[in-house]
Amino acid sequence: MRRILKKGIEHKKARWGWFFVLPSMAFFAVFSFYPIVNALYTSLFRKRLLSLRPPTFIGLENYEYLLKSPDFWNSIKATFIFTLGTFIPILVFSLLLAAFIMSRKRFQKFFQMAFYSPAVLSSVVAAAIWLLILDPRGLANMGANFLLGTKGVDYKWLASANMVRFSTILVYFWKYIGYFTIIYITGLASIPQSLHEAAKIDGANGWKDFWHITIPLLKPTTVLVSIMSMLQCLKTFSTQYLFTQSGAPLEPINVITLNIYNTAIRDHNIGRASAMSIILFIIMLFFTWLQFKASRSGGEVDYM
Amino acid sequence: MNRRSFFVMFLCLVIPISLLVGKTIELQFWTHEDPNRTVIENRYIEEFQKMYPDVVIKRVTQSSTKIQELVLTAFAANQGPDIFNMSIEDEYAYIVNQRVASVNYEAAGYENKEALINAYLPGTLDPVVFEGEIYGLPLEITNWCILLNKKVFKDAGLDPEKDYPKTWEEMVEVSEKLTIREGQIITRRGFDFRYPYYLVAFIPMVEQLGGKLISDDGKTAIVNDEAWLKFLDFMAAWGPNGLNLGSPTYKNARSLFNMDNNDIGMCTTGLYQLARIKADNPAFYDSREWMVVPFPQFENAVNYVPAHYYGHYYMVNVQKPKENQEMAWKFIAFMLSHPEEYLDKVAIIQPTNELLESDTFKNYPYSDVFISDLEKSTVVYFSEYSAKIQSLVKEAVESVMLSNASSRDALNALRRKVQEVLDDQY
Repeated sequence: MRRILKKGIEHKKARWGWFFVLPSMAFFAVFSFYPIVNALYTSLFRKRLLSLRPPTFIGLENYEYLLKSPDFWNSIKATFIFTLGTFIPILVFSLLLAAFIMSRKRFQKFFQMAFYSPAVLSSVVAAAIWLLILDPRGLANMGANFLLGTKGVDYKWLASANMVRFSTILVYFWKYIGYFTIIYITGLASIPQSLHEAAKIDGANGWKDFWHITIPLLKPTTVLVSIMSMLQCLKTFSTQYLFTQSGAPLEPINVITLNIYNTAIRDHNIGRASAMSIILFIIMLFFTWLQFKASRSGGEVDYM
Repeated sequence: MNRRSFFVMFLCLVIPISLLVGKTIELQFWTHEDPNRTVIENRYIEEFQKMYPDVVIKRVTQSSTKIQELVLTAFAANQGPDIFNMSIEDEYAYIVNQRVASVNYEAAGYENKEALINAYLPGTLDPVVFEGEIYGLPLEITNWCILLNKKVFKDAGLDPEKDYPKTWEEMVEVSEKLTIREGQIITRRGFDFRYPYYLVAFIPMVEQLGGKLISDDGKTAIVNDEAWLKFLDFMAAWGPNGLNLGSPTYKNARSLFNMDNNDIGMCTTGLYQLARIKADNPAFYDSREWMVVPFPQFENAVNYVPAHYYGHYYMVNVQKPKENQEMAWKFIAFMLSHPEEYLDKVAIIQPTNELLESDTFKNYPYSDVFISDLEKSTVVYFSEYSAKIQSLVKEAVESVMLSNASSRDALNALRRKVQEVLDDQY
């Protein structure tokens, strides 16, 4: 009888739970799940964006084409160069900046605001600002010439292959470092002060405290930052798009998302673009799984 | 009278009245930004709406570099505008995919197709003819010549009337005299190419040397490697790793020229630029310290090839209701019945025989230079995939100018990719 009663109450509670979760599930189903399924379906067809003829089923031909295409592999390369070049510095420097800000007795809020403010700009606006800075006659060349003591050197921020890659990494880093710094600040603030005090009493200096106490206890935050920043980097688009529209060479920064866009919009080949989207989705899923797996090794973090 | 009878009587009255009253026809009209054209076309809309009170026209302008994507996205969602225009190399795909309606000759004010063809300069409607029908009416036919700032020439100790470049080799020599640099950074360019319009402004250079983008039967990519290699070598030498006379990464010249800030000597542009100079900088326009010269040729050119001409054609969405399509053609014809005003206020040429024989055209500054090149010119390459092919040529040129790729490697990559596009079509 008690079991039946308990089941009835649990059932009621679960019903309310479903009721509250349903709107977001519906939103996810319509705006995330459905597009993914639709892209998977479209990737099996030869479909042109403007054509009114029914698309032709071709099975996995789009995937076969992509896996043999030098252009697609160049996009993979460009994406990974960008991701590694951005994600690792973001991970490291956002933690260092957070530790720096937390160590300040004054102007903490000012620093937080200063570093976070680029994140509120849209990517398009950020790229447009940097286009002016990176123009041959812009602030980037003036600044670099001043700092390096050179005169009139054009560092070809948007012209040479390596420099244009660096420029896209620089823009992304500038835009998002503050965002992840705030996340780390939250993580740092959640570590009980008593642990640092105990370490101090035991004779740990600042560096040992940071390395043996702070970093291990920041594991959940680090996992969150690394997954979020990696996914952001894999999805990068606006900066590369605007730079190439303004004359920068395409090949060095032809990341997968830009290739997807050009294949769909410029080439009208929506079937092949959908296949690329699915491949990108699988790559993102794989790296997310890998990071979760890596984060589970070494045990859970418990402050108690 | 019971309630049912009253209701039936009410319906019998209301339905015929609503049919008599008629519904409003709303036309969405998308076009690219041109402040001078906006003024006159907004007036045409007001006048047309007075003539047809049941018609409401909503004119929307987009950046000329963005309109292609926006129109494409709208059509892909079956939500395209009633009327739109783009350059033919972007528009042709809509004709081939049957997304636009053929011209309604009666609504457009022509007795039949022949009357329409006879009203225009021969050949100017050819790009919009498909399977025997005409699918657009020309807003403008444009070719590019070289616009030159005389003050920059004089500042460099040159006489613009005599020393303007007639060949690409002279263009290099003159640009070297006009260019000012601070170290490697160019603060005044002698000449700026018209990036990224490679089909219009760069392919003619290859054709001057005897090369072609596509064979005459449309099946083979890249004809005459030697011509192509000479062209790519020329561009590599022009760029930042060669003589450093310019680069696609500098701000485009056509948006700087009008300001007359001593930062650009020459640029490639069309007749419409003159109206923009007049609007943006009347003092510079009135000073006549600018002039137009023909598109240069290589010294050892085997063909005389000016910049290709392209057309913007007004087209009508075939998915809209018949009454919308009919009214759209009427409105387009109404706008295009003012060719002299378009020339005078916007400096665009509608290639009607009437306009080209008019005093307005003959007296327009430098119209003779543009027409002389136009008469020797051919239409830009257009196909369902011309946008993709243009981007492949862009990649090839940028790779030799910016990435130090060899001309041979760039050409081989270009050939492979363009051939793939052509093979996909057949």
